[in-house]
Amino acid sequence: MSRKSKKTERIAIVTGLRTPMAKAGGKFVRLQADQLGAILVRELMMRSPVAYEEIDEVILGNVAQPIHAANIARVIALRAGFPQATPALTVHRNCASGMESITTAASRIHAGEGSIYLCGGVESMSNIPLVYSEKMTSLFTKLSRSKSALDKLRTLLGFRPAYLKPIVGLMSGLTDPVSGLLMGSTAEVLAQDFGISREAQDRFALESHRKAAAAKESGRFAKESMAVVYDDHEGRYLDYDDGIREDLSMEQLARLKPFFDRKNGTVTAGNSSQITDAAAAVVLMGESEAKARGLEPLGYLCDFAYAGLDPRRMGLGPVFSTHALFEKTGLSMKDIEIIEINEAFAAQVIACEKAFGSKTFAKTHFGQSKAVGAIDPEILNVNGGAVALGHPVGMTGTRLVITVLHELRQRGLQRGLASLCIGGGQGASLLLEVQ
Amino acid sequence: MMKQRDYFRLEIDDRGVATLLFNTPRKRINVLSFAALEELEGHLKHIAETPEIKVLIIESAKEGIFIAGVDIHEIERFEDETQIREHLAHGQAIFNTLAALPCVTIAVINGACLGGGLELAMACDYRIVSNDNDARLGLPEVTLGIIPGLGGTQRLPYLVGYAKAIELITASKRLKGDKALKLGLVDASVPSGYLGFKRDAFVEEVLSNKRAKAPTEQREGIKWYEKLPPVRKLIATLAKREIIKKTGGHYPAPLKAVEVIERTLPLGLKEGLEVELDAFVPLSVSEISKNLIGLFFTSEKLKKEHFAKAKPRDIKCVTVVGVGTMGSGIAWILSYKDIAVRLKARSMESIAKAYAKMMKNYEAIKRRGRLIPREIGLKMDRITYTTGTEGLAKADMAIEAVSENAKVKQSVFAELEANMSPDAIIATNTSSLSITALTKETRHPERFVGMHFFNPVPKMPLIEVIASEKTSDETVATVMALAKRLGKTPIKVGESPGFLVNRILLPYLNEAARLFEEGASVVQIDHVLEQFGMPMGPFTLADEVGIDIGKEVSGILEEAYGERMPKAQIIEQLVTKGWLGKKSHKGFYLHQGKNKSPNPELASFQSESKEIAEQEIIARTMLIMINEASRCLEEGVVKNAAYLDMAMVLGTGFPAFRGGLLRYAESLGIGNVVERLKALEAVHGIRFAPSDLLMKMAQKDKRFY
Repeated sequence: MSRKSKKTERIAIVTGLRTPMAKAGGKFVRLQADQLGAILVRELMMRSPVAYEEIDEVILGNVAQPIHAANIARVIALRAGFPQATPALTVHRNCASGMESITTAASRIHAGEGSIYLCGGVESMSNIPLVYSEKMTSLFTKLSRSKSALDKLRTLLGFRPAYLKPIVGLMSGLTDPVSGLLMGSTAEVLAQDFGISREAQDRFALESHRKAAAAKESGRFAKESMAVVYDDHEGRYLDYDDGIREDLSMEQLARLKPFFDRKNGTVTAGNSSQITDAAAAVVLMGESEAKARGLEPLGYLCDFAYAGLDPRRMGLGPVFSTHALFEKTGLSMKDIEIIEINEAFAAQVIACEKAFGSKTFAKTHFGQSKAVGAIDPEILNVNGGAVALGHPVGMTGTRLVITVLHELRQRGLQRGLASLCIGGGQGASLLLEVQ
Repeated sequence: MMKQRDYFRLEIDDRGVATLLFNTPRKRINVLSFAALEELEGHLKHIAETPEIKVLIIESAKEGIFIAGVDIHEIERFEDETQIREHLAHGQAIFNTLAALPCVTIAVINGACLGGGLELAMACDYRIVSNDNDARLGLPEVTLGIIPGLGGTQRLPYLVGYAKAIELITASKRLKGDKALKLGLVDASVPSGYLGFKRDAFVEEVLSNKRAKAPTEQREGIKWYEKLPPVRKLIATLAKREIIKKTGGHYPAPLKAVEVIERTLPLGLKEGLEVELDAFVPLSVSEISKNLIGLFFTSEKLKKEHFAKAKPRDIKCVTVVGVGTMGSGIAWILSYKDIAVRLKARSMESIAKAYAKMMKNYEAIKRRGRLIPREIGLKMDRITYTTGTEGLAKADMAIEAVSENAKVKQSVFAELEANMSPDAIIATNTSSLSITALTKETRHPERFVGMHFFNPVPKMPLIEVIASEKTSDETVATVMALAKRLGKTPIKVGESPGFLVNRILLPYLNEAARLFEEGASVVQIDHVLEQFGMPMGPFTLADEVGIDIGKEVSGILEEAYGERMPKAQIIEQLVTKGWLGKKSHKGFYLHQGKNKSPNPELASFQSESKEIAEQEIIARTMLIMINEASRCLEEGVVKNAAYLDMAMVLGTGFPAFRGGLLRYAESLGIGNVVERLKALEAVHGIRFAPSDLLMKMAQKDKRFY
């Protein structure tokens, strides 16, 4: 199915900001997602040329929504200083939640439902809880319904130590419930499909760290990111992305055991995205509104597309959604000057590169004779990606948008693409411009 | 049936439910003046003579206030002891009438219920109270140098027990509804929205004979063992020891309260009330009580004082520049009072450290059970930070608390002006620099103002507000309003070097240093002045503040006032040695953790070692302050003597029982002060030369008050 876009106004991304990316279980471990989000959103509002009262709604993506903060966007909005009258909505499209928040707002602006939105994504993967097994839960329920002491004792006697084995929320969340595959296993499928060697994946990972380290060194990340005081008792702060390994070597990567297929696999913790805590947000409005206010936006969202595919090969999502975007806009890969494909797994990005350039792939999946468009490796993930920085699932989408716009500005270029693969078998592609 | 008078409205319905509604005309609050009490007496007589009445409800028509207490103005005017005795005995009799009514009596407490208000409520059979924040119950009389005089010392033990009653009265505790219920002071505590339902339920219970009269003196709050004479004595002794430890024995009222409660425990209510009366009367005419009440009135007056006619601007977000001790203290109090704060500092390290300092303050509050972690989190949420200029435009105001250096401050002002909106207010926390000089180069000097906090900011209640020659009224009004929102007492003072408090205090510190140089020991001088009532001796204070800071300020003052305020040698010598006080573990004392011991090496700075008479130490340190204070008054640095006294009490801890520095001067006699200053001048030189104002006052026999 192809959709031709109606001519609609571009959406101005007035300003954007992110926190540093902190390795899960590390520096931000005591910051719950709502607090991390509140820190970021409040700081963004301090820097934004728009006042709290002018914002129509707060829309935030978050995948592992904390049990203590249902509709986390509302919690964050209030903690970040928004008036009680400002509504807030949490969106969930798995790894694209941080893009969904932006595109949801864009659609609302186009529909005339509102004019200014604060959008973003937040994830504290450190704080995804362990869950009691179903058997333990039902024991608790029974216990609470047991009236007499004897009843209670009887119920307790039904307890078995095995009931205490927790379900690891993080692992469940990263498992596709339809195919039953862990996300990493879907990367193994792609490595097999496209014949991607362990070495190629490790080399890609090393390159991601190298590029990220260079960007960190040159101060590029400092432009899009804020410092966060993460321990207010001891007075400690983080002002850099602590997953980047400047000293990483191929030898070190080679030493790691495959994680998802221990016998034959090629996907390791080293060539996968890191588990990370972070938040990012932007302020959006129609281009005309920004002009009327005399603002100079960071950039514009011109169009976007989502697409679905085989959940077992969800990593190819960017190819499907970008194809849809090109169909919709009439653009081609030649028009794109900077590309971000989220590095969920090195194997998965390499698979995307191959699929983008493959006529056979295009023929099979889109019934067209020419390839979707080969990618110039020089413009792909120029500052590294999630392998080095981490992939806080609900946040990454917003980070990619901010990163692409900053990089376009930095290089004096005009048009870029931010895309990612989505657990469950989807892809998302956002077309971004600077001028 | 309805009777309409001034203070109370009595309504009686056909079920036999009488409601007395207390509604002081033309006032925001209810107080028990003699007129109100007498009117109450009339109503009570009428109720006593109306057998149809089964229940009496006493309520207040004022929002958030049941009864704030008796009319303190009337106590202040007491002079003749027999007259007081008469009035008070009459008041006691009225509450006895209330307690003896044949119908069941219920006090419905919707808000503050203090002093005489609580004494009235305790004379009822039942008390039901809303558990909201503004409903606080207590007997705070001792803060005014008196004790409860309308049966408070008698009825409270029956309800909460002997030891608890002593604690509540001597510490002037104000209880929230739920706590009062737990202690047995009230019979029900409910959310304010349910107070009416609760009252109706009580009334129903009385009407259906499920609830009978429950006179206070038949309540069983007093524990059996508290009645044993040795236990009773022990509790009283321990309580007195605690009070003496806390007050240095300067405040007789709490001690008297313990004595009365102890003595009357075995007595009946009637005899007990006599003893209470006997103890109350001399306290109420004492100088200490007059002093404390005087300060209370000044603080009430200051609450209404604006010092500027303009309307204050709304402040939502304040940038605090500099996050040292003062800056982080100011930032903390802003966040504590739910105002958004933007920290601006040179490095993230210092910002992160400021977070740790602020968290310490919150932790202390958490330990006292005043805030839970969720509430602290929400307050900390309001704090943001920058090492650059981002976000400065979003703040309505900035408070500068960088180092006490004119150049540094001026460069901060330039940066703030360049980045803030042109009408944003910019305050400086300078303790001694001239605002007019500091802001000469600014583009909008009218929005600059001095806002001098005292260290430690969370504890010290005074803020000196200083207008430059160009500061606008709106700026002053805004800073005054903000200071009040922070729970502080702002007093506008003139721009003289050292402003008001430091200008008066520095000569005192210098004089103490000179007494040391002449041979008196640091320990002796500190001890004498602590005995006088100062919260800490001058050398302990210097070590706390930092001797380098003392040197800096006294340098500025010496430059400004010349031979009147020469800097003491010893200060310079200690700073040269690097003995800066507590922060360097060595100053006038040696500091180890919280312990301090005399610094044995100090003797080398003294020409000889000799005892100086206590009277001379007090005379020289106090008279030199009084002299400088009179000059401040003369120059109009402060509006009046009462505000000056309040500033000294709040800013330096000058003993409140003395009523403030100038009240103390009056107690000495102005003529006497001048004579003694002249005598000191003859020996020690010009710094003791009495001011023109004092000379004139002595001549014309005038007073400050």
